[in-house]
Amino acid sequence: MCLAFPGKIIEINNQQATADFDGVQKVVNISLVPEIKVGEYVIVHAGFAIEQLTSQDAWEVLKEYEKGNRIIQGNIEKNS
Amino acid sequence: MTINKADNIELDHGGGGQKSSELISLIRNVISDKGKWKNQMDDGATLKIGNQHLVFTTDAYIVDPIFFPGGDIGKIAVCGTINDLAMMGAVPQGLSLSMVIEEGFPMKDLLKISESIQKMSREAGVPIVTGDTKVLPKGKLDKIEITTAGVGLTKKIISNSGAKIGDVVISSGDLGEHTVALLSSRFNYKTKVVSDSKTLNKEMQAIAKYVHAAKDPTRGGLSANIIEIAEKSKAKIVLEEELLPYKKETFAIAGLLGIDVLSFASEGRFICAVSEKDAKKVLQILKKFNPEAKIIGHVEKGKGVFLKTVLGSLRPIEMPRGKLVPRIC
Amino acid sequence: MKKETESFREILKKIHNVASQIKRGVALMEVCGTHTQAIGKNGIRQLMPKNIKLLTGPGCPVCVTAQEDIDAVVHLAKAGIPIATYGDVLRVPGFLGSLEQAGAQGAKVFSVYSVEESLKIKKEFPNLVFFGLGFDTTTPMTALALKNGLTVYSTHKLFLPAMDALLSMGEIKIDGFISPGHVSAIVGTEPYEHMNIAQVITGFEAQDVLVGIYMILCQIRDGRREVENEYVRLVKKEGNRVAQKMIADYFEIGEGNWRGFGIIPNSGLEVKNPKLNAKIKYRDILSKMDISKSKKPTGCRCGEVIRGLITPERCPMFGKTCTPEKPYGPCMVSDEGACNNYFRYAK
Repeated sequence: MCLAFPGKIIEINNQQATADFDGVQKVVNISLVPEIKVGEYVIVHAGFAIEQLTSQDAWEVLKEYEKGNRIIQGNIEKNS
Repeated sequence: MTINKADNIELDHGGGGQKSSELISLIRNVISDKGKWKNQMDDGATLKIGNQHLVFTTDAYIVDPIFFPGGDIGKIAVCGTINDLAMMGAVPQGLSLSMVIEEGFPMKDLLKISESIQKMSREAGVPIVTGDTKVLPKGKLDKIEITTAGVGLTKKIISNSGAKIGDVVISSGDLGEHTVALLSSRFNYKTKVVSDSKTLNKEMQAIAKYVHAAKDPTRGGLSANIIEIAEKSKAKIVLEEELLPYKKETFAIAGLLGIDVLSFASEGRFICAVSEKDAKKVLQILKKFNPEAKIIGHVEKGKGVFLKTVLGSLRPIEMPRGKLVPRIC
Repeated sequence: MKKETESFREILKKIHNVASQIKRGVALMEVCGTHTQAIGKNGIRQLMPKNIKLLTGPGCPVCVTAQEDIDAVVHLAKAGIPIATYGDVLRVPGFLGSLEQAGAQGAKVFSVYSVEESLKIKKEFPNLVFFGLGFDTTTPMTALALKNGLTVYSTHKLFLPAMDALLSMGEIKIDGFISPGHVSAIVGTEPYEHMNIAQVITGFEAQDVLVGIYMILCQIRDGRREVENEYVRLVKKEGNRVAQKMIADYFEIGEGNWRGFGIIPNSGLEVKNPKLNAKIKYRDILSKMDISKSKKPTGCRCGEVIRGLITPERCPMFGKTCTPEKPYGPCMVSDEGACNNYFRYAK
């Protein structure tokens, strides 16, 4: 399971928000991410945003991993 | 064979996938006389008359919604039949138009649809020469059904089975946008991508002499139609993932809804196999009609249809299942 | 695009490198249907070193839904209760047929993309029952629907207990888990830490899966058994607290009935509110169903496939009486099922 897709929040209206998915706009339910702001990205599953998406992709994670660092939600935890 | 006489008709039987093929085979076993006609498994049947071939084809159109971004049922009823003739290399001569309409259907909608039909007929230069209309009581039909039939002439037939080893596969433009338009009201999304429906006869005539095999990827999308070309041509086709002809919006909708993008239909695009040495010339001509035209794969010895992934692996492309059912899990 | 091809070549080289350092055979299990799909669509299996085996676990919610639950919902549909559920579920065959077939015979069966659509349908059909299935990722949505008064037949499950069961059953050797990215977005990384096995919480793009596999193999080579997170862009250590609270507020944890596993304790999610719990509300109708039929063995070996005991082609029905066009078992129905993916991609 867990089919989900990333989108950018472009408008918020209480529990609903319009998200843009590579040029496709759809209303999604943001009850599960109440702190989300316009301009931020989310992953959407079955019509609901489940969590905020930050930017590190797999290649960046690999780079940090090879350096011996772990990335925890946007912060690089340097290997001490 | 998944079908047998004791079954009832299911929606999957009309979906364009494997079950549809089996249904057609079942019916053909009963209605089996061919007379002097050939190519009955292709887009249209053909009859040799002198040094020409008469090509004859028909299709029924039931679309929901009947009005969608970029077109309506009238538009695709005309495009569909003209394009089937065009895919066989035929110059369309005329169409018939039959409409079965539900009682209560708004006259203004019928006129709008008729205007679309006229517009497409004019764009293609193909007149609607005969037709019929029927009205069914309210509730006995979902709004409107349109059937068109068409005849065309050609000295040389382009079939689905002519792809040669060493050919390249070209797409006349980005695919899948008709499905994008159709799904937009069901799934409530907005996008600037609209239905790609248009007539293809002029485009095809411009390159006909170079074409070994051609299909317009309507029902079943790219996957069903490329598989058909490969099977009938008894060859292996490899498509390049990097070159898949879809806009990012189309990929996004496929990803959001969990439907395979390769099964998305187009109503104004075609895929064709041409020899490698003619590819440059063909693209040059096609780009005048649609700058998105590009090479998407090639034909090899062997069998099956495969996708060469960006990772370098080769994985099979399969026939789409009957209905477009989105998944979440 | 050229840059991407280079990056893929490099990560594959790294994977082969670590695999040759490990030398022995290693079995990695993915436990999420979307990972099953990602591996199939990208042809990842064929790119793996010979000593690395990728197993498919019970990550497909349609596949692990117990026969009794499918039959119960079809029974309700045939008794006139309108049912709404997600797409793939409609085709799972039961002893009374599938939901799709019930619909074709006149039952009110609705396929929805989102639970919110069910709320709209409920306005026309007030006694609508939502057949809720899915793991931790999908349960919060059903919770929100319960909040809005929708009646639910819940076969939602918590995923991690199944991973624990796989490990404790010890039927097959699992050296590492490719752990589910979106389940983890909800539950966080902490709940995995007791498992004492090498695992990496992984995303779903091809590059995520490859980097994830690389990281697990590094752990195995180094003798580590840690919970690492490749999917940092989405998964937080604490997960999504709002979603966790929604689940806790509307569901209570009980026994979970998993196809292939039987009962896994503390893995099932039952609707708290009896007025919205279809199993209680429609107890009378459900009691008329002959559940002994649901328990009869059919020759379908989906259960063993789900547990990773056999690969799909070992089931005598695979490819013969069970194909994606005419599926016999749920592993073939669902696009995320092991059998379905094996049939489509492993040729």
